[in-house]
Amino acid sequence: MRQRITFLQKPEDSLDPRALKITTNAISTPALKAAREDRLTLGFDELPQELYRVLKATRELHIRWTSVDGYGSIPPFVSRLSPGLHVLYTPLKNSSNSLLCPTLKKVFGDLDCISPEQSFTNVSVEQLALPVTTEYHAPLSNLNDLVEYITHKLCKRKDEEECLSRVSNLQSASSLEIDFDTSSHDLTLTAFWPSRIWNLNLSKASPEQRLEVGILSVETPNEPEELSLGGFLTVIGEHTKPSPTLFSFPSRHHSTTQSFSSSFLQPTGLHPTLSLNISSSALPIEDRACSLHAHLTLPRAIFADKYQLSDPLFLNSKNLSALRYITSPVDLEAPAYAMSVWGSSLLLELSPPTQKSTSGIPWTAQIPLHLRYLLPNTNHSGLAALDVPYPVLFWACTADEGTKFSGNPFDRENLGYDGHFGKRTMFYHVAPSAGGTGNGGSLINTLDVPVLDLGKSSWVETGTAAAVLLGFLWVVWCLVKVLRTEGYGSRRGALVAEKKKL
Amino acid sequence: MSRFFASPVLVFSSAIALRVVLFFYGLWQDANSPVKYTDIDYFVFTDAARFTAHTQGSPYDRETYRYTPLLAWMLWPTTWSGTWFSFGKALFAVGDIIAGWLIVIVLQSSNHMSLERALKFASLWLLNPMVATISTRGSSEGLLGVMVIALLWAITQKRISLAGVLLGLGVHFKIYPFIYASSIIWWLDDERVPSHTTPSRAESSSIVSLAMKFCNSARIRLVVISLLTFTILNTVMYSMHNFSPYNTLLYLSSSGLGSLAMNLESLAFLPQLLLSAVILPLVLAKKDLPSTMLAQTFAFVAFNKVCTSQYFLWYMVFLPFYLPNSSLLANKFLGLSVAALWVATQGLWLHQGFQLEFLGKSTFVPGLWVAGILFFLTNAWILGIIVLDIGSSATKSVMKPKARLSKS
Repeated sequence: MRQRITFLQKPEDSLDPRALKITTNAISTPALKAAREDRLTLGFDELPQELYRVLKATRELHIRWTSVDGYGSIPPFVSRLSPGLHVLYTPLKNSSNSLLCPTLKKVFGDLDCISPEQSFTNVSVEQLALPVTTEYHAPLSNLNDLVEYITHKLCKRKDEEECLSRVSNLQSASSLEIDFDTSSHDLTLTAFWPSRIWNLNLSKASPEQRLEVGILSVETPNEPEELSLGGFLTVIGEHTKPSPTLFSFPSRHHSTTQSFSSSFLQPTGLHPTLSLNISSSALPIEDRACSLHAHLTLPRAIFADKYQLSDPLFLNSKNLSALRYITSPVDLEAPAYAMSVWGSSLLLELSPPTQKSTSGIPWTAQIPLHLRYLLPNTNHSGLAALDVPYPVLFWACTADEGTKFSGNPFDRENLGYDGHFGKRTMFYHVAPSAGGTGNGGSLINTLDVPVLDLGKSSWVETGTAAAVLLGFLWVVWCLVKVLRTEGYGSRRGALVAEKKKL
Repeated sequence: MSRFFASPVLVFSSAIALRVVLFFYGLWQDANSPVKYTDIDYFVFTDAARFTAHTQGSPYDRETYRYTPLLAWMLWPTTWSGTWFSFGKALFAVGDIIAGWLIVIVLQSSNHMSLERALKFASLWLLNPMVATISTRGSSEGLLGVMVIALLWAITQKRISLAGVLLGLGVHFKIYPFIYASSIIWWLDDERVPSHTTPSRAESSSIVSLAMKFCNSARIRLVVISLLTFTILNTVMYSMHNFSPYNTLLYLSSSGLGSLAMNLESLAFLPQLLLSAVILPLVLAKKDLPSTMLAQTFAFVAFNKVCTSQYFLWYMVFLPFYLPNSSLLANKFLGLSVAALWVATQGLWLHQGFQLEFLGKSTFVPGLWVAGILFFLTNAWILGIIVLDIGSSATKSVMKPKARLSKS
């Protein structure tokens, strides 16, 4: 097991290294104000049997969880995802993984997940050599089940106290990632907490573990692609005092000063429009080709119509420029309760106003969506609440030729949207602000969807049947009347009959 | 006004002009407004045509395409270039005009109308803005209109083989014209198509000889040719795609607002099929075939579980045959009440639908449901009137010449 714990401080909060107390197996300091990232790397042999069995049939597995509560980011931890649980999964070729969904449920709680075949959607196009990468998302408001799971399955007796305190921290984490790649045979668990005051007291349970603690702050970089960090690194057991460090690296993810909020235009109806209110249309950096994108993660009850989003005039009227990606296929007609796939994701390129003079002025882009019929309910309102996670907004800019992001020790990939861009793309993230209406500070837009009220519809069946019967009998009665006076014969027949009478 | 209807050139050039204006207006709106004039289905057809033409693929690669591949192939020219994209709309509009022309011919030859009177009633279709709009927006429903009217024309001209082909084609295209099979077969009795066999032994009335008598050569020819056409088209069109032609039927049966009682849904077919394919043809077909076809279509649409305004086109094409002798024209008050109620109940439904779809109000019950029931009952009432009219027009049209005679 290897652990890397990084504290990121604002320059004004910088710690005096003399306040750090370092022993052969522990490090401590009171009142450290910083954001924090914990990274834990586990070998195959350290995993519970049931996880090992899932990963054996896996080529790549990336799990990303983001809290619904908005949080402040700090470089280099600036990349974002829509709130909830995202899973990017690539099975080994020719293997189906029936254990994945049950295991995810066991670890994270009750998810709507049947199997990768039924619940996941394909992200990549099928190629001969490579298996298809699949995607899944579910709303998940907290990590309580994960904490429970780790407490029982991973905390071993000898380091129990340290393990339990570290695990309980997860309950306040803003994001969590689990990565597995068949080439490394390691499972990495990464958690992030926004800036707060830590009463630092870390120790390692056994000498064979590696524990590295960094306390860093951001320095001014030389190049626009780069990030520069300075501070102290300590490897517990190797170092007796913190060693000062200053390093720079090209970074894939960057922050901006821009922010956005999202809300549904009222009234929402069955074709709600998601409105993105963006604080500025200014490019994040000079001299680079940049375009603004929105990545939406939509539960199955709501979807975008790719055919509607293909007309340039229509897109332009909504301040959109093109649909870059959408889950395929998206059923355009099925009711939500007849589907098992999780939902769909889409990547839209936005079209910010281009005049220099207006670049600092807030502007709006609108994304037309459509609702499916939801199951009827009995709550007497005739409405059902639908939670739609905030989208992610970012500028995608092209980095200089030859830029390599892999040198970044805090690099983050496999976020769902980054795969739709080239390897040399930099992401400048626009921070979400929970300014939308009625979401109580969370990064969720809630919709009221009209549904059939079962309480009121008990007589719909009998009423419908009675009306159809009434209509049917009226027509039949008219037919009987015709039959009795005129018979079923022809006009000429009637003529003949009349002639005969005469 | 009367001089206008006296001239076929004036009526048809007006009908064509109406469509040309709408066609170009549509092009203008599509090019200049984010709200499109063109029907969404037209993009479905043309996408499907592109899949068929370019990628050697199947038209069903286009989501929500559930029509015959024949339609995608008919629209093949739309894949040539930007200008040709609108070819389909022109085709549908031409179909409208041909349907109108056939209506005039049938009215003149079978209903013995003067040209002016025939043109007047055919204008219900030819100069109907709803019909012209639907076809120039690129909806294929108008194509059904020309197929069905051509079927009626062929059968009244006693071109039995052609009628068989058209019937098979129509059913292949959209299933519902199968209801016309029973009325046409019932209509094709020995009075219409005098049998060539010697009628000497015709007096015997055993079941076998009645059955033999029923199976006259015209009826057999129609059944065989229409079945053959339908089967060949289905085999050629669907064998590559493993796509059931009954998709539309299945789709119709599954798309009622979900959850509303599955057992009732399966029963709902019964009154619909019983009326439109069995009882209405048996009682009425021999009296007035075109009006019976109207009644059948009207019953099929009214009792259908899915009903959109494009379906109204299906029976509108028969209105010129029914209206001239109808009590709706004879009795102005009745006619206006029927029209007002039909519009009002439909308006109520649309209002409730708007509240749901665009304002997000949960109007499923009672609003939408009551409106739907009222619209249905109105339709049933109108259907009853049509039935009584067809029944009594048999005597009326016999009486009329007498009345004229006594006057002169």
